[in-house]
Amino acid sequence: MALRGVWQLKKLIVSYCDWGGGSRGIRAFIESELPTFKEKNPQLEVVTELIRGQHPHLKGFYKNKNERVVCVKNMTPEDILLYATRLRNALGRKVVKLKTRHVTKHPSVQVMMATLLKHSLFGGSNSSL
Amino acid sequence: MAHRRCLHSALLHATALIYLKKSPPLTIVKALTPKPNPMITTSNLEPSWFTPWFYVRHFSSRKSDDSENEAEMEDSSDGEEESDEMASDMVRDYSPEEKEAEAAAIGYKVVGPLQRSDRVFKDYEPFFAVVQIGSHQFKVSNGDSIFTERLKFCEVNDKLILNKVLLLGSPTQTIIGRPILPDAAVHAVVEEHALDAKVIIFKKKRRKNYRRTKGHRQELTKLRITDIQGIEKPEIKTDGKPLKAAVKKPEKIAATA
Repeated sequence: MALRGVWQLKKLIVSYCDWGGGSRGIRAFIESELPTFKEKNPQLEVVTELIRGQHPHLKGFYKNKNERVVCVKNMTPEDILLYATRLRNALGRKVVKLKTRHVTKHPSVQVMMATLLKHSLFGGSNSSL
Repeated sequence: MAHRRCLHSALLHATALIYLKKSPPLTIVKALTPKPNPMITTSNLEPSWFTPWFYVRHFSSRKSDDSENEAEMEDSSDGEEESDEMASDMVRDYSPEEKEAEAAAIGYKVVGPLQRSDRVFKDYEPFFAVVQIGSHQFKVSNGDSIFTERLKFCEVNDKLILNKVLLLGSPTQTIIGRPILPDAAVHAVVEEHALDAKVIIFKKKRRKNYRRTKGHRQELTKLRITDIQGIEKPEIKTDGKPLKAAVKKPEKIAATA
């Protein structure tokens, strides 16, 4: 994800267990696909961490100090790559339902004209374009 | 399967007959064993026993039946392969021309990744455009963000050109397209590909013991609009804001090709 050209995901921690069966996919992911992922995203700091006896997960740290944790227990390496890419593609913002699909600071371009016309002799036109 | 059953019954008959008879049929058998069709794998001996029955019962048609069956088997397996291919078509690799064609159908074009040296994010300019992406239309201005359905062929930090522009506006001018303006372009940058919040689809029929719960997360793309082209932009002077007097907006209708 990039806000105005700046990548928002700073750090990705790939945690896995070397004994558990649920970590099989992530172990394969670390061997096969993590190097290419690292090369494609040089701005991202990727760390592998060993946590014994716990389920594997991906932790993403964003610039707005937000953390997103995704459990990747029993997943194939392709699925894990998909989730890692999703974390990289996303903003760190809280996942809430969108109010509007169009976010703008200047809702009207011609409002000055409208307000001026309202006061003028020609009468007000209600255009809010 | 019926032909196998009748074969089996015929086999029983023939074996009974042959055991009743004496050795001569064995020589016939030996002469005939090389005959059977290699395609018939189930019972190699049977055709040799059954050559009289063969012609009476049109076992040549059995051969063709077998071939038909095998052809059917092959067809069904091909069908399965096709269905598998159909499923994998959804994730297939598009050729660049196909990508461009599909993208153009939706209404945008990928230009390329954003370079660090590009100064794309400008200050607000008082110009707007009505742009269409897919089936949704947005009134955009410089610096706005738009949430659209997931755009397939672009990565984060890619520059896009949205070419389906229906209306351009400025404080003094409005250009209306019929239905689109051919020379207008809106530049945008892909900010993120993310999933929307989860929506729970709950179905219930009362007193009928029917209840279903399904979760759905829509995939969205956030675009940041950077530039609008196709309309005359006055040069911004630091002295005073131009064209603020009460001037009626002249309307220009641009005829499309």
